Amino acid sequence: MSDRVKINIDGTEYEVDAGSNLVDAAKWHAGNDIPVFCYHPKMEPVGMCRMCLVELGTPARDRATGEVALNDDGSPQIRYFPKLQTACTTVVSDGMHIKTETQQVIDARNDVLEFLLSSHPLDCPICDKGGECPLQNLTMRHGPQSSRMYFEDKQLLEKHYPLGDLIFLDRERCIQCARCVRFQDEIVGDDVLAFHERGRRLQIITNSDPGFDTYFSGNTTDICPVGALTTADFRFGARPWELNEVPSISPWDAAGENISLSMRLDRDFDGKAMIKRVMPRQNEQVNEIWISDKTRFGHHFTRSNERLQRPRMRSGAELRDSTWEAAIADIAEVLRNADGDVAAIAGSGMSNEDLWELRRLMKGLGGNRLGAWPPTHGGAESVARAGVGFGTNLGQLGKGDAILVIASDLEEEVPIWRLRLKQAQDRGAYLVVANARDTRLEDFALQGARNDKVVEGDAIRYAAGDAVAVMRDLEKKHKAIAARLSQAENLVIVAGAEGLTLEGSAALAQAAANFLIETGHVGRPNNGLLSPIPGANGMGLHYVGYSPAASLDIAAKPPKVLIVAQAELLDDDPTAQAWLSEVETIIYANFFDGGISELADFMLPLQSFAERDGSYVNGERRVQRFYTAQGPIGQALPAWKLFASLRQAMGMSHLKPSAAAVMLELSKNVPAFDGMRYQALSQVKRQFPDVGSRDQYYGGTAYSNEGGLGIQIPSVADGKKLKPVAISEPEAISAVDGELLIVPVTRLYNRQRNFRPSLLMEPRILAAYATMNPDDAQTLGIIHNDVIEISAGESTLRARVCISDEMAAGAVALPRHMTDAAVPLTMTAGTVSRVSQAVAAAD
Amino acid sequence: MHILLRGRDIANIKELATYDKHDGFVGLKNALAMTPAEVIDVVKTSGLRGRGGAGFPTGVKWSFIPQHEPVKYVTVNADESETGTFKDREIMEENPYQLIEGSLICAYAIQAKAVYIYLRGEFWDIGDQLDACIEALREKNMVGENILGSGYDCEVYTHLGAGAYICGEESALLNSLEGYLGQPRVRPPFPAQKGGGLYKEATVVNNVETLANVPYIMREGAEAFKAIGTEQSAGPKVYCVSGHVKRPGNYELPMGATFRELLYDHAGGPLHQDRSFKAMLPSGGSGPIVPLTDEVLDTPMSYEHTAEIGTIIGSASIIIMDESVDITWVASKVTKFFAHESCGKCTPCREGTYWLDKVIDRILDGRGTAEDVKRIADVAENMAGTTLCALGDFAANPIIHTIRHFPDDFAQHVQA
Amino acid sequence: MAIIGNPKYEERINHHLAKYETKRSAVMPLLFIAQEEYGWVNPAGVEEVAQILNLDPTQVKSIAGFYTMYSEKPKGKYWLHVCTDLPCALKGADEFYAWLKEELGVAEGGTSDDGMFTVEHVMCLAACDKAPMLQCNFRYVENLDQDKMRELLAKWRQEAAEPVSAGV
Ligand SMILES: Cc1cc2nc3c(=O)[nH]c(=O)nc-3n(C[C@H](O)[C@H](O)[C@H](O)COP(=O)(O)O)c2cc1C
Ligand code: SF4
Ligand code: FES
Repeated sequence: MSDRVKINIDGTEYEVDAGSNLVDAAKWHAGNDIPVFCYHPKMEPVGMCRMCLVELGTPARDRATGEVALNDDGSPQIRYFPKLQTACTTVVSDGMHIKTETQQVIDARNDVLEFLLSSHPLDCPICDKGGECPLQNLTMRHGPQSSRMYFEDKQLLEKHYPLGDLIFLDRERCIQCARCVRFQDEIVGDDVLAFHERGRRLQIITNSDPGFDTYFSGNTTDICPVGALTTADFRFGARPWELNEVPSISPWDAAGENISLSMRLDRDFDGKAMIKRVMPRQNEQVNEIWISDKTRFGHHFTRSNERLQRPRMRSGAELRDSTWEAAIADIAEVLRNADGDVAAIAGSGMSNEDLWELRRLMKGLGGNRLGAWPPTHGGAESVARAGVGFGTNLGQLGKGDAILVIASDLEEEVPIWRLRLKQAQDRGAYLVVANARDTRLEDFALQGARNDKVVEGDAIRYAAGDAVAVMRDLEKKHKAIAARLSQAENLVIVAGAEGLTLEGSAALAQAAANFLIETGHVGRPNNGLLSPIPGANGMGLHYVGYSPAASLDIAAKPPKVLIVAQAELLDDDPTAQAWLSEVETIIYANFFDGGISELADFMLPLQSFAERDGSYVNGERRVQRFYTAQGPIGQALPAWKLFASLRQAMGMSHLKPSAAAVMLELSKNVPAFDGMRYQALSQVKRQFPDVGSRDQYYGGTAYSNEGGLGIQIPSVADGKKLKPVAISEPEAISAVDGELLIVPVTRLYNRQRNFRPSLLMEPRILAAYATMNPDDAQTLGIIHNDVIEISAGESTLRARVCISDEMAAGAVALPRHMTDAAVPLTMTAGTVSRVSQAVAAAD
Repeated sequence: MHILLRGRDIANIKELATYDKHDGFVGLKNALAMTPAEVIDVVKTSGLRGRGGAGFPTGVKWSFIPQHEPVKYVTVNADESETGTFKDREIMEENPYQLIEGSLICAYAIQAKAVYIYLRGEFWDIGDQLDACIEALREKNMVGENILGSGYDCEVYTHLGAGAYICGEESALLNSLEGYLGQPRVRPPFPAQKGGGLYKEATVVNNVETLANVPYIMREGAEAFKAIGTEQSAGPKVYCVSGHVKRPGNYELPMGATFRELLYDHAGGPLHQDRSFKAMLPSGGSGPIVPLTDEVLDTPMSYEHTAEIGTIIGSASIIIMDESVDITWVASKVTKFFAHESCGKCTPCREGTYWLDKVIDRILDGRGTAEDVKRIADVAENMAGTTLCALGDFAANPIIHTIRHFPDDFAQHVQA
Repeated sequence: MAIIGNPKYEERINHHLAKYETKRSAVMPLLFIAQEEYGWVNPAGVEEVAQILNLDPTQVKSIAGFYTMYSEKPKGKYWLHVCTDLPCALKGADEFYAWLKEELGVAEGGTSDDGMFTVEHVMCLAACDKAPMLQCNFRYVENLDQDKMRELLAKWRQEAAEPVSAGV
């Protein structure tokens, strides 16, 4: 990027990066907003809309000598193209001159807008995009004052065409810019949108089955420069100018997508502010301008009727409504009498502030058993040591770089990472996917060519349970792949936990870290380890001192008093019932009941991410804050306040006034959070591309970042040289005597408590298939679609079977949270038997 | 004697044996005995210009192909969809080997890996015939590996379009051949450059008639070819004459023959004795219309001379209209063609062709005003020069020039 | 029957797949095969072509929609494509086409009641010196007039007892 060239825009000279796009360069350096519709800086230019026409000239060269011809005054002669040129398809070159303000250019803009408007309906007053519509904005600035065409000759087309359950198309509004088509093709890699017919009849279609519902479909509605694409969730819900944008962070996964909550006082919510829609907020290092559909459409739990409303306390056989004063007094009493035999389990959706106050409470009581939930991924420690280097931006990975994804299905676990890593492969990075079964990312790794571009990748299929050995022995068993990974300029390894026990996943992360350390791929940007640790704050749990191992220890030796905060113990693991019954007092704080009301002694309502301030640490160790958007549900409290109140009630300290104050204290006490005060976390700087700025051409309605870009916690390797550590390899799980290994897998759309209230997504949750290899099926006499029973120890589960040779032999893949009966965490191997088809039919 | 329409002189020249007997493949053999660069030089010297419409010097086009690229292609533009054009059809039906020979010479000159002949879908039977020719040539070692022992390998394939005029535009043709929508590509990169051609490899796109000239050039020499035609327009040309003449059809004459010679001596003059010629579209629907005055009739049919009378010779699809014809109706016909054939990719063409058609319909219906005539002229001006490919200019031409030359034809339909 | 696994098409499909650098390039010839098998480009044909070429069906549908020689609707046994473009129209093609529609009792794009003929006007077919003309199931029929056309219609009606395939 050090190569710079000089270009002249309307008489002023600017120095810009060589190779940059003319529209981008003019906007970035000259503040000159060349109008565009089809161009989008995240996608290849196509030159379709013709809105960006400019006068373009380059230095004239003498035919014979090749020298630049000079004017009398010694300045280079500029030869202008006879026709206007599209800036969007032009790459800057040294000495280039453009004119953007001449009459010719003004007329051309006016003409193109007239052409577009001649077919566009006049329904701005009822259009979702009205108020933040590039077509509307550009018409105001460059457009004709009235239409010269005949209204009765306009084409009448469908106004509410469902492309799928989530996205609707208004065929009259579409201006055929192909942004949506190109987004699906280039960015997502799922070319399920296309044009049909031609000429003025050209229309967007999808022929996919089911309809248009990729995990990223909602982004098309943002980049659509008109109101042609709308989401089923938001369409006709509000006018953009009634909305109040509140910066937030996606509560779902380790990506930490920056989002903006569009709030409005709403009749549907007793006249209070409610989330009308969730929009991406630009953070080029984290999610660029994209979010997953889960993040966009999964917000309904924040105001679900099922939410806990007020504190409840056990009185004999039942829980009774209570007040906070009474509950806090009673809990303080219980805690005082616990003689230090207390423990806490905290869920990965808790903010850092919550975790800190809970930890202080526990410390004050003499307890140090701090469990992280769910205890399914043990890689946090390794991520803290050898995680991706300070300043990492997956958007910079490309030619010469490499990526290994092992034991993870990123499309389902952290969709934005999968999106960005696929992009990295498109830019030239070498992508290797290792797993015991096929995953979406593996398809990309093996695709070979995409959009006529050669892409490089490999896949490793191992027997279920072998992940650690594969990683440890990569150099021996997969020489060629290991060599390419080692020699890569930059290398990122994503180490998951699929098919592994907690110790297994910790060992895999260690093995991956060792490989990175040994090959010199840690301690610098764009190198190191990533782990799809479940939840939005898996790394926060680690840094504040919680560990998944502690959760297992608590289960093994139940304490007298247990605080369970934002952790769905029974939803995640029905076998927890057994040890929870041994706990004398369970203090349960969460959004929903979580099926634990029979066991809990206190049920305390907590505020969701939308109701309060807080911060999360994402998988790349970036600390990011979110802001209060809506009022609390019932009497719900932010978790930090609940625990701080308990401390106050027990005379340990005074209540802090705000989450910011808690963070201040955290930053002073936990080294990882050094310097992470809210003020610092809220800092923003100009990002390329300039989306959502005053012109809004690029982003449609993606929002520029005003809430803060966050700050990355350095890894240990960022500060000092690391040595590989011995891998504490757990005993291999083996399946003997006709048993099969059980591989719980994650699906993005599932029946987790927080996701269920988003009813729009219900039909998108797939049936709970257990997947097994045809050989195993044959041995066991099972056929496709049978219902099988899987028994392991005390637990049994039923599921319908899908037989696929994409599944490793000797194992059965079981999706977590697909039915109300979860896959117990303890289930690692068991027997499988056919129940009967009669059951299947009755199911 | 014909050079291109040899089927008219020699019965059965579409048979390999006959073609062979009549100097067939001499040009190819001569070419194989030269270096590729020498072949390009001969074609450059001959002054051959593209017969697909734009008249770009063929040898120069070939010389743009980067020699060091390992994979290169030739695509033959046999889409022939311009209104009023039917010359490539006759060449391919009656004299197929000459096209293939010319394509192979081109392929050798740029060292292409393969030739794809892109035929409009309606020419499927020509495709079958060409496929049979290719197989016959394979038997004779003139297609495939080590052609005639030269060490040069080349495959020849046919590909059928499926009804889209725009696929005659070279970059749309390449997209179509790759299985994408037949919409033009952004240029640069141009087809001759790496990244711009077929499968992103450097590619020559030439019209059927252009390549059918090449065997003659390689057989008789560049000078012999240059001796035919004018200074800037060398060689023979097939003129497609249609409309109000006695004998419509293809006529092969040297470039530079006059319109009068073509229309009277060959095409037999006006269809109806009692009606005089009114107007001519010398390059199908896409070129500017001209009134058929004596001055026009005496103009030589060459690139340079037609420019002087404000039109182009293009692919020489010469549509003749006599005095019975209402030029407003002509404008409507041609506009309907472009509205039907616009690919929809870029705004001015997609919207412009649609609205021109709607407004001309109003005018023809008697619902139009003088304002509407100005309106379409203005819309056409706005389209011209702003579109992604030349189709937008083509669609603007008929409106601009019909109104310019025949204002009364429009005036009669509208109230002042 | 399907086109996949149909011995009738196997050789042709393989020929087309071998012809090009990418599978995708074969989408047009394969759509012609699908049209030949089903009489039109029906959803099953789109699915099969997509499967053979490893494309999303949306992409195949998109191609089928762009080109006029693929029909995405069922049509009559004989497709009559009458050129009414300028050169033909100068020689009476519009009148000829109007007459033909009346003769068959159909409107533009319609199919005669007996399911025999679908008529459409098309743009220039490179036969301008032989106007009026049409393509019947993509075969050129030139230098037409009403008498000649009546004879042809009768002949095709008679032939209709035997199977005729639409499409190339
Ligand atoms: C809209 C459009 C349609 C065209 N149609 C044809 C055509 O049918 N046949 C043809 O040979 N060239 C056609 N051309 C010209 C080609 O783009 C290209 O210039 C030509 O094939 C080059 O070959 P040549 O140099 O041998 O003429 C068309 C161009 C445009 C813009
Ligand atoms: S739907 Fe929107 S994004 Fe898609 S082509 Fe139409 S205007 Fe562009
Ligand atoms: S053509 Fe340049 S932005 Fe659309």
